[in-house]
Amino acid sequence: MNWGPVLLSLKVTAVATAVIFVFGLALGLLLARARFPGKTLLGAVIMLPLVLPPSVVGFYLLLALGRGSPLAEWTGWQILFTWKAAAVAAAVVGLPLMVQAARAAIADVDPALENAARMLGSSEPEVFFRVTLPLARRGILAGLVLGATRALGEFGATLMIAGNIPGRTQTLPLAIYDAVQSRQYDVANRLVLLTTVLALLSLWAVQRFEAPRPPRWARQQVGSVAAPAPAQAGDRAP
Amino acid sequence: MTGARLTVDIEKRLGPFRLAVRFEAGTEIVVLFGPSGAGKTLTLNAIAGLLTPDAGEVVFDGQALFRKHRPGPAANVPARKRGIGFVFQNYALFPHLTVAENVAFALWRRRDAQQRALALLERMRLAHLAARYPHEISGGQQQRVALARALAAEPRLLLLDEPFSAIDHAARERLQQDLRALQAELGLVVICVTHQLEDAFAIGHRLVVIRDGQVAQTGLVDDVFRQPASHQVAEIMGIRNLFRATVVDATPQGLVLDWDGLRLEAPARPATPGTTVTAYIRPEDIRILYPDRPATRPVHHNQVNGRILECRATATFRTLRAALPNGHEVEVRFAPHAYAPLTLAAGDAILLSLRREALVILQE
Repeated sequence: MNWGPVLLSLKVTAVATAVIFVFGLALGLLLARARFPGKTLLGAVIMLPLVLPPSVVGFYLLLALGRGSPLAEWTGWQILFTWKAAAVAAAVVGLPLMVQAARAAIADVDPALENAARMLGSSEPEVFFRVTLPLARRGILAGLVLGATRALGEFGATLMIAGNIPGRTQTLPLAIYDAVQSRQYDVANRLVLLTTVLALLSLWAVQRFEAPRPPRWARQQVGSVAAPAPAQAGDRAP
Repeated sequence: MTGARLTVDIEKRLGPFRLAVRFEAGTEIVVLFGPSGAGKTLTLNAIAGLLTPDAGEVVFDGQALFRKHRPGPAANVPARKRGIGFVFQNYALFPHLTVAENVAFALWRRRDAQQRALALLERMRLAHLAARYPHEISGGQQQRVALARALAAEPRLLLLDEPFSAIDHAARERLQQDLRALQAELGLVVICVTHQLEDAFAIGHRLVVIRDGQVAQTGLVDDVFRQPASHQVAEIMGIRNLFRATVVDATPQGLVLDWDGLRLEAPARPATPGTTVTAYIRPEDIRILYPDRPATRPVHHNQVNGRILECRATATFRTLRAALPNGHEVEVRFAPHAYAPLTLAAGDAILLSLRREALVILQE
């Protein structure tokens, strides 16, 4: 079996996940705590890749990164049809999931705790890293895993801005498409199975992160009487 | 009070609500007292720097923590640099940290953080809980941890927001003792918000009564209770049996009042006949007279026939509601076994004495 697409996908996903983490956390914090004009619009724009056809997202990215675009002129980057473009596409479609989860988890942290930290001499970064982040940890991790998994599965926008060049930009989903097109069903089967297993693993992790901790009384009396029914992980919106 | 160390003068508009509060505090415990929604917590947050007033001044030990639209250079020191200890309502302990880590939170850059936190827990008699998490200890213990945490960085000004609201009686008394002892020992300026009169009595040196965003009265706790400045303050203090009466006669021997047809004698004080005054008598100062015995001197005056409307009992006292001939009602309170020979059931006729010396007339 040709492991090239798998390894490339892992590289693309790793880079995309790092980008998703940093930007998703910052945007989630902004949307959860800051008040500014245009906040609703910003929230909607970030969510767009979730609902737009992948070809539309890909088209926007072509415009943004292509030759002659202000961004390309200014930075001098020529990344179209390289693995870096695949990473950008993966990050853009994975970001909304992370932002949504981080925003909800941060909004859930009692502002009184942050004020308590301020009264104890903490600067704003210290408040965030010593109080907000540890308390929102579970929701943020769930969002990150979900975003990373979405990045791993990115197909449409990647095809438009990175192409489908075997050995250079052909990621796992593209390799499956190719295998089916060329009727190599044994290759397709293996890659599909691998993708499904990875996705299942990540969703299992998400459920573990998102599962509400047992109620206080149950934690205090570990091993006593009957354990409470486990709460449904889907109870809390991501 | 050894001279003012904290001067508060703040104005803040929040929608239709207008806060305009001024008071001073020395090395003492000042209780901000008033009904919920009066602006007590807003005032506390403004002192702490968690809320920015529209105008005013907060000066502590000569340093302007906040100043805007007042003489002198403008100032707005961020909350984290004000060096103020703050005990939040519902404690706001960090749930992801142990008791010791909570107390050491403000000391994290210091090498002796752990020893200092443990020493503080020791003196608050909490050392045995150091490794527990907040959800593993009782409400009263959480409150004392919150106090220890607020004191860890050695503030000179301590603010407490409804510190006694959610803890049981025994824990409350303990916390009040701790607070008074710590205040005296550390020479702290303490501002404490409460809406419970008993708490104000238990810890407060002075009372600042806040109503509708304004200071209605300040003074020693006892003085404010004995002599509320107005009808509103008396109501906020939970004073019962308030009534409006006309001054019929004022002599150096005493006043004669007319309460809608009921003539009452009151202690002497300056008053002009014909004017209307607000007066009250505490439920525990009304005596029930035995109809078959002669009334003794203290209860000789102001004898009134009444009819019992309702009788309630708790472990510590009984309360009667009685209708008077002038159409009003009074509340009478006494120890459970006082007046044992009398049945005191609803509907019974009783003879009351609204003791002359206990009638309080408000200065208005």
